[in-house]
Amino acid sequence: MNQEEIIRAVNIHKSFKGHEVLKGINLSVSRREVVCIIGPSGSGKSTLLRCLNRITEPDDGEVLFEGKSIMGEDVDIDEVRSHMVMVFQSYNLFLHLTAKRNIMLALEKVRGMSKEEAEGRAMEALRKVGLENKANAYPGQMSGGQQQRVAIARAIAMEPRMVMFDEPTSALDPELTGEVLEVMKNLAYGGMTMVVVTHEMGFAREVADRVVFMDHGVIVEEGDPATIFTRPQNERTRQFLKRVLQDEPGPPPA
Amino acid sequence: MADGWQIIQNNLDVFLAATGVTVQVAVFGLAIGFVGGVILALSRLSSFRPLSWAATLYIEIIRGTPLLIQIFFIYFGFSAISPLLNFDAMTAGILALGFNSSAYQAEIIRGGIESVPKGQMEAARSIGMTRMQAMRFIILPQSFRLMIPAMTNEMVTLIKDTSLVSTITVVELTFVGKQLTSRYLEAVPILSFVALIYLILTFATSRAMRYLEKKYQIPGYGEAE
Repeated sequence: MNQEEIIRAVNIHKSFKGHEVLKGINLSVSRREVVCIIGPSGSGKSTLLRCLNRITEPDDGEVLFEGKSIMGEDVDIDEVRSHMVMVFQSYNLFLHLTAKRNIMLALEKVRGMSKEEAEGRAMEALRKVGLENKANAYPGQMSGGQQQRVAIARAIAMEPRMVMFDEPTSALDPELTGEVLEVMKNLAYGGMTMVVVTHEMGFAREVADRVVFMDHGVIVEEGDPATIFTRPQNERTRQFLKRVLQDEPGPPPA
Repeated sequence: MADGWQIIQNNLDVFLAATGVTVQVAVFGLAIGFVGGVILALSRLSSFRPLSWAATLYIEIIRGTPLLIQIFFIYFGFSAISPLLNFDAMTAGILALGFNSSAYQAEIIRGGIESVPKGQMEAARSIGMTRMQAMRFIILPQSFRLMIPAMTNEMVTLIKDTSLVSTITVVELTFVGKQLTSRYLEAVPILSFVALIYLILTFATSRAMRYLEKKYQIPGYGEAE
């Protein structure tokens, strides 16, 4: 189990302006595992994700990536980040570059690939998300769903050891979430290690190996989706699920 | 008026040479201003406090004092500080305009950088780019597009401000206009012609910048839809 571990967060604390958002989080993710983090808004889910690659610097605690701490001054954090790429709620495609160039840039500048090699890799990634026909489109010329799929292609083209998703469908119109979730499912079934902060309970139930429920800056409960969604142990988990599952189609949890 | 036209025709080569000097002063002034502006803007945005303070102080002093005084200061004042800083009029004029413009361009560039959405930097950093790479390949290319309209204003302003270097005997358009006016005592046609040349220079500049703005427009971004 231990040599399979990709990332481990130990006792992560983070405060913003005196408000404690993360109160000592411990989380470990193994290779090929899909972990979905759920919980009410403001529970600290996104902050936790952002602490994992130190885009947000934790106040206290440690993150180990493939067994090595990534906290020190001597750590090449850019190199580490390139192996645990993030997909954002607001896509954050580079606005002045076409879909293809969006993917190629980091391949050339971070991975040091030649232009030809990067272009081949970019087209392959676009094919995987079904958007090779949008290779030369700019972000502003694509729908939100298409932009997010390109953002996923940009992430997987790096051949990362892990992809982190920060509410990847929350900014999308309901009719566009399906295409993005579909791409994510394929990625998960292809064996990608994924940490997904999401409000999509259907996705979590179907795809996750483990569901983590967070509230008020702590992990309240975690377990396999069947357990969390059908027999939650904690009252707060029950309340949260009751609230969010009311809006969801399909049979209520037994 | 016929007289006036005659004067202009007879001195066309003088006007032409003077226009060349004006263009030269403007181009070099803008170039120095741009390089200085980028450095100052990045300094102001730096998290290293002393650097950011120094840049802010410089910008405030330059913007808060008359350009004419700055020109005099560099031409007359600098040589008093050190003989190495004893510039000829043309060099002093270009330096003064460049230093002055750098403060204004710095604020334009800073505004441009700050109006690039925050997520762009985060996306670049989280895929493994260094801060420098993110600046160079993501933030600056986008911000330069955003700052074209404000830059156009600054360029037009600087072209007109080159007339101030006539006061330290740089033989540019305004200097020649004054000289010919006092020789022929025909202020209206001569100064009108000088003004017309400035107008052509500024108009051509703003047109060229409009063209650049269109050319580098990012499809689907920042357009009226």
